[in-house]
Amino acid sequence: MSGAGDREAVFPTRQSLGAMKNKLKGAETGHSLLKRKSEALTKYRAEITRRIDEAKRKMGRVMQIAAFSLAEVTYAVGGDIGYQIQESAKQARFRVRTKQENVSGVFLPQFESYTTEGNNDFGLTGLGKGGQQVQRCRETYTRAVETLVELASLQTAFVTLDEVIKVVNRRVNAIEHVIIPRTENTIKYINSELDELDREEFYRLKKVKSNKQRDNNAAEQEEKASKRRGSDKENADDPGATDILGEQEDQDVIF
Amino acid sequence: MEGLFFNVNGGYIEGVVRGYRNSLLNGQNYSNLTQCETIDDVKLQLSPAYGDFLASLPPNPSTSSLANKTTDKLVAEFRYIQGQAVGTLAKFMEYLTYGYMIDNVALLITGTLHERDTRELLERCHPLGWFETMPVLCVATNIEELYNSVLIETPLAAYFKGSLSHQDLDELNIEIIRNTLYKNYLEDFYKFVTEHPELKDTPTSEVMAEVLEFEADRRAINITLNSFGTELSKQDRNKLYPSFGGLYPEGTLMLSRADDIEGVSLAVSGNHDYKSYFDSVGMSGGMGGSGPGNMSGGGGSDGKSLEDMFYQKEMEISKSAFTRQFTHAVIYAWVKLREQEIRNITWIAECIAQNQKERIGNYISVF
Repeated sequence: MSGAGDREAVFPTRQSLGAMKNKLKGAETGHSLLKRKSEALTKYRAEITRRIDEAKRKMGRVMQIAAFSLAEVTYAVGGDIGYQIQESAKQARFRVRTKQENVSGVFLPQFESYTTEGNNDFGLTGLGKGGQQVQRCRETYTRAVETLVELASLQTAFVTLDEVIKVVNRRVNAIEHVIIPRTENTIKYINSELDELDREEFYRLKKVKSNKQRDNNAAEQEEKASKRRGSDKENADDPGATDILGEQEDQDVIF
Repeated sequence: MEGLFFNVNGGYIEGVVRGYRNSLLNGQNYSNLTQCETIDDVKLQLSPAYGDFLASLPPNPSTSSLANKTTDKLVAEFRYIQGQAVGTLAKFMEYLTYGYMIDNVALLITGTLHERDTRELLERCHPLGWFETMPVLCVATNIEELYNSVLIETPLAAYFKGSLSHQDLDELNIEIIRNTLYKNYLEDFYKFVTEHPELKDTPTSEVMAEVLEFEADRRAINITLNSFGTELSKQDRNKLYPSFGGLYPEGTLMLSRADDIEGVSLAVSGNHDYKSYFDSVGMSGGMGGSGPGNMSGGGGSDGKSLEDMFYQKEMEISKSAFTRQFTHAVIYAWVKLREQEIRNITWIAECIAQNQKERIGNYISVF
């Protein structure tokens, strides 16, 4: 085989050589673009990882405070108010909306939390005693849930990003290690085939030329030989030399 | 004179209650408890006082199960005393349970309103507030039925009558219902201890009047503070104030007009005790930003909130109730002290479980 590696099944023609060259150029451009994208994404992922780390630490602290404020409520109210709270909550006060962020062509989902104002379903809980603690506890838990939403947003972004980075890296590697070498191989193969053809052609031409020359030479020789033979005969007896003034009857010239 | 015949009916019970009082945890026990590293250690420290009741707990129990078991002991002792009580004392003890009944009924009303299976709720009810007809409440499926045929049969019927109609049950916030009931209950209880012929002018009425007046004031102040920023209007709020107590009527009137914490502080300024509480938690100075009643807020100079102060005061009144003899008030005081003890234990256990030792000293110990 010409070319050590695999190559594409093309006919080694000039046209396909041109196509291959275009393809190689395209692959190289694509490779550098993808490489840059992958680098950008990896950088972004590192940033997200750092933020996830921060958010997780924050969550630990906030959840601890929140759990403790619940303990305060239990202490102040002196009983379980869970059922009452559950039943009196009718509408979600804390809501989450999603949006998309575009990071080098990747759409990352983002969660955004917001509280609907004026929605205070259990504002009267613990009216007799412990109401302040209940409200405070709600605030701390709101903060805790905010942290959770933030973390969820980051984690989802991370997972999506990770997937995309994997795909991009796979593409980069595929281009770098498969497509480019293969195209190069093909080009090499086409080149070598074309050279081969060239050489064959050249050889053929040479052969034709040499044959022709040989033939010419032979013809020349023969001509020469026959010429020499002819002059000898002329010299020896020249039957052709007729006496035009002789007695041979002239042929009638008929007009 | 009142002591002459008291012991005929109440002597034994008073003795028993004083015995119970001696088994309450004291400062030494509490400081031991705060040194604990795990819940198991807490359990061990509590075993002299609560041995039998905590024995069935698994290792490292949750704080709520710990609280349940300690409550069980209170209930068991309460039931024992109730079993011995006769005459006015029996009635007195019934009054004690009404407060819990109100909570239970409020819970069941909430369940009925939201069309839940109220049978599941029976387990959540406070055992002291259990009354015979309570499971019947679960039969009612809508609020009208509940009001017309079931609530009428409960001991609380009198508190519903006249102040709440069945439409109210549907429309009003359950907290307002609960507090209306509680107000009627406090007024009724107050009337009972001060006007009942057998209790009038006895130590019982003296001590209980003090306790209930304090309770009334506390509720009035708390309701006012907690209603800021909610949809509770001033008129509605005014209806929730008990019509007796140290603040009644001028203070209550001022409370009903208060718009902010300073207003409350002004309203209670006639009473030296409350004024000093407000001063010490720094709320009269307009530090309302961090909110009153929060225990960790920057308002309190020594980490005490208004709520803590009230609890402290309640415990002191309860403690001093034991200095009187020939009175039913010791039972009330004992129940309150024991409740506070359960709260303290839960608090300490919670602090240990959550590893937040810096605030572990927030319990209230009077002995």
